[in-house]
Amino acid sequence: MVAAGSRSTSEHSLGRRVRAVAHSMWRMRWMYLLMTPTLIYLLVFKYIPLWNAQIAFKDFKPLLGVTGSPWVGFEHFQTFVNSFYFSQLLTNTIFFSLAKLLLGLPVAIICALALHETVLRRYRTFVQTVIYLPHFLSWVIMFGVLLSILSPGDGLLNQIIERLGGQPIAFMTSPKYFRWVVVFSDIWKETGWSTILYLAALLAINPELYEAAAVDGANAIQRIWHISLPGIVPVIVLVTLLRMGHILEAGFNQIFVLYSVPVYSVGDILDTWVYRQGLLQFKFSLATAVGFFKGVIGLILILVANRVAKRVAQQGLF
Amino acid sequence: MKKWTTLLLVLLIALTSILSACGTSNEPADTTAAEPTAMTEPTAAPEAAAAPEATEVPEPAAAAEPVDISMWALASVTEAGPPADDWIAYDRIRDELGINLHYTIIPPQGDGETKLNAAAAANDLPDLFMIVSTTNDRDNLRTYHDLGLIAPVDDMFAMMPERTKTHYNNPVLIDLDSFDGQAYGLPNPPGITNREGLVIRQDWLDNLGLEAPTTPAELLEVAKAFTFNDPDGNGQDDTYGIGAFIEGSGVGRRFNPIFGAYGVVDLWNFVDAADGNFGLNVRDPQYYEAMKTMIEFTDAGVIDPDWPTLTKDEFRARWKQGRTGIMWEDFAALTNKSNYTPFDDNFPDASWTPLPALTGPGGEHVYGLNEANFSTYAVSQKAADEGKKEAIARLLEWMATDGYYLIGFGEEGVNFNLDEDGYITLDGIDPDLAFNSPAMQPPTQLRGTAFYNTLAEISARYPNYETNNGREMTPIKTYLEFFQSQQWIEGFAKKLIPPPENAADFYRYYDEGILQFALGQKELTPESWAEYLAGLDSLGAVQFEEGARQTLTDAGLLP
Repeated sequence: MVAAGSRSTSEHSLGRRVRAVAHSMWRMRWMYLLMTPTLIYLLVFKYIPLWNAQIAFKDFKPLLGVTGSPWVGFEHFQTFVNSFYFSQLLTNTIFFSLAKLLLGLPVAIICALALHETVLRRYRTFVQTVIYLPHFLSWVIMFGVLLSILSPGDGLLNQIIERLGGQPIAFMTSPKYFRWVVVFSDIWKETGWSTILYLAALLAINPELYEAAAVDGANAIQRIWHISLPGIVPVIVLVTLLRMGHILEAGFNQIFVLYSVPVYSVGDILDTWVYRQGLLQFKFSLATAVGFFKGVIGLILILVANRVAKRVAQQGLF
Repeated sequence: MKKWTTLLLVLLIALTSILSACGTSNEPADTTAAEPTAMTEPTAAPEAAAAPEATEVPEPAAAAEPVDISMWALASVTEAGPPADDWIAYDRIRDELGINLHYTIIPPQGDGETKLNAAAAANDLPDLFMIVSTTNDRDNLRTYHDLGLIAPVDDMFAMMPERTKTHYNNPVLIDLDSFDGQAYGLPNPPGITNREGLVIRQDWLDNLGLEAPTTPAELLEVAKAFTFNDPDGNGQDDTYGIGAFIEGSGVGRRFNPIFGAYGVVDLWNFVDAADGNFGLNVRDPQYYEAMKTMIEFTDAGVIDPDWPTLTKDEFRARWKQGRTGIMWEDFAALTNKSNYTPFDDNFPDASWTPLPALTGPGGEHVYGLNEANFSTYAVSQKAADEGKKEAIARLLEWMATDGYYLIGFGEEGVNFNLDEDGYITLDGIDPDLAFNSPAMQPPTQLRGTAFYNTLAEISARYPNYETNNGREMTPIKTYLEFFQSQQWIEGFAKKLIPPPENAADFYRYYDEGILQFALGQKELTPESWAEYLAGLDSLGAVQFEEGARQTLTDAGLLP
C-alpha cells in the first residue's frame, strides 16, 4: 500500500514535471523554432557522421562499406602512437595551440580594452577595421605577404637587419625561427577578429558602473582593472574553455601553407601528418583514429578545464 | 495560423538548403587552377599523314538514351578554366557517340590525389579518371586495384582499334599499368622525355668575361660572380647565381648538375644497378661527396635563399625577372613562345645557353634520370558494373580519330587551318582565336588525351619564332635535342618499386635530413651522416631496398 502510494506520488510528480517542461517549451516556442535549423545542421553534419567514426577500429574497405569492413580493434591507434614522429607531432601541435592561446588571448583583450577606452569614435572604427582585415585573407595570400617581409633575399625585415649590420635570417626555413613565424603570423591575422568578441562583451557592461567609478575618482587603469576586466571574465573563460577542446588542432591551413621540408621537425603537426599518411596514402582508418584520438583528448580537457574554471573563477561553460 | 505557416515555410527552406548541401552534383565542377606543369604549353598538330585514320565508330542505338560518362582529368593548362557548358565537343560527343560527357578538371599533385582518394573512399570514383600521385602513379593504381575499385581494361583495347595502334602500342607501359597479368590502366603515350636541362645566362657570362662552367667547382666560381659582381650591370646587388625550388626527393632534381657530377641523381642508384649495386643513392659514398659540394654552394650564398619555400610558379617568375642566371629548367617552360615572352620583354638582349653535364672529380657526368613520363587513365569498377566500358572505349577512340582535331586544336577554319600538305597552320586565323591563344586553352583542356606525341606532332607544337631583338628561337633544335643528347640514366623501373609501409614517415625523414645537411642546418661529418643513415634504417630502409631489389629482379630488370 505504501509502495503503491509512493509510485503514485512519483508518477504524479513525473507527470507534473513533464507538463512543466512542455509548458516551458510552449512558452519559449519561438526560441526553439529559431534553434531548429542549427540543431538540424548539428545533427546532419556533426552527429550523423559520428556513425562513420567506427572505421577508426576497422580496416576500412570502400567496397565493404563502413559497417561491412572488418574490425581490427585498436590497431590504428597503436600504429599512430608507435609511429616514428608521434611525440614530435604531439609536442609541435600542443606548442602551437598553447602559444597561440596564451599569446593571442592577452593581445586580443588588450586591443579590445584599448579600443573601448578610445574616445575618438572614427579613430576606433578605423583601427578596428584595419586590424581585422587580415582575418579575411587566406593563408596562401598571407604566405606571399610573409615571404616579402621575411625572405632572406630581399625581405623587408632582413633588409633592416642588414642595414643594421646583421646577417639575413631564413625565418621561414630555419627550425629556430619557424615556430614563432607561425605563432606571430596567426596573432597578426586573427587578433582583430578575436577583439570583436571582447569588445562586444565590454559594450555590454552597464555604463552606470563607469559613471559611478568616475564620480568616485577612479582613473582609466582602475576602471579597466575593476570594471572592464571583471566584466569580460565570463567571455574570457568561455573562449579559453572552447579553445581547450581544440587543443590538438593547431591550424592545418596555416601550417600546411607555411611549412616546408627543412622545418618539419618543428612544424609538422598531427593534421599535416594525417594529410600525408592518412589521405595521400589512402589510410582513412588511421586518419579517423587520429581524429578520434584528438576528439577524446579535447573532450577530457574541456571537462577538466570547465571544472577548474568553476572552482577557481566561479565561471563555467556548463 | 498564418504565422505558423510562414514559420514552417522558413524551416522547410532551411532544411532543404542543408540537405541539398549533402547531395552530390553531376555538374562538371572543379576548376581549381594550380601550378602549371611542364606540359602546360599549347601544343600543335601532327602532319596530316601521321594523323590517325578515322574509324567506324559504332553507332549508338538511335532511340537509346545517351550514356552519362563522368571523366576526371588534369588540365593541360592549369591556369585556364574548364570548357564552357556549350563547348561544341559536348554536343558532338552526345550527337555522334550517344554520350553525355561530364568532364571535371582535377587539381595536380596532392590536391588531386586527395580528391581522388576521397572519391575512392566513398566508392564514388568517376567512370573514367586520370591517376594523380605525388610520388608514383603505379602506387595509387595498385591501391585502387587492391581495393577492387578499378576494372581490368584488357578487353577495351579491342573496342578501340585505332587508339590502341596510336596510343597503347608500348607493352612496357601496359606492363607498368598491370597487376597479376591484367591491365588496369590505359597509359597515354609518354610525353617528351629528358626534356629538362642546365642553362646559363649567356649575356651575364659575356658581361663578366667568363667561360661556361664544365665542373662543379667552375660552376661555383661562375655562380659567385653572378651573385656578387653585378652581372646585369644595373649597379644593384639584386642577382643570385642559381635559382631553384624543391621538386622530387631530397634537394630535388633542380640540383641534378651537382649530384649528376657524382653519378647520384634521384632516390635510387640506377647508375650502378647493372653492377649489382642497386640501392638508395645515399648509401653511395659519392652521395656524401656530392653533398659536401652542395654545401659549398649554400655556404657561398650563391643560391636564391628562398629556394626551399618557392613554388614552381614563383621560381619561374624570378628568372623571368632577371634574378637568377643558372638553373635547371624544362625546355618548353623556358623557350616556348608564351613562356619566353615575359622574359624577352624584360631583357630583349639576353639569352640562355644550354650546358652539358658537369664533370665531377671522378669523371662522372650524369644529366638526369629518365623516368616513365606518362599519364594513366583508369576505369572504375562501378562504371564497368554499369556496363559503361564500351561507351568509354567509344569516347576514347573518337578522341584519337574523328574528334582528334577538335579536342586537340579546336575547329578547323576558326582555330586552325590545314595547309596543302596537311600540316596545321595558323595562316588566315585570327590570332585571338588561334588554337594556341589564351582564349582557346579552356576548349582544348583535354588535348593531352588526344595527342600521341609522335615526333611530327611534337615538332609542330613547338615552332621556331623570332625574339624581340630579331634572334631566331629554336626550342627543339637548340634546347630539347641538346638536353636529350646528354647522359640520361634509364629509370623506368622506378615505377615498379612498391612504397615503404610507413611511406609518409620514411620520405619525411629522408627529405628532411638531406635538406638539413644541404642548408647547413646540420653539420655534415662522417658521424652525422652515419647517424642519418642509421635513422633511415630504423625506419625500414633496408627492407625498402630489399623489396625494391626483389621486385626489379622478378621483373627481369636487375641481374
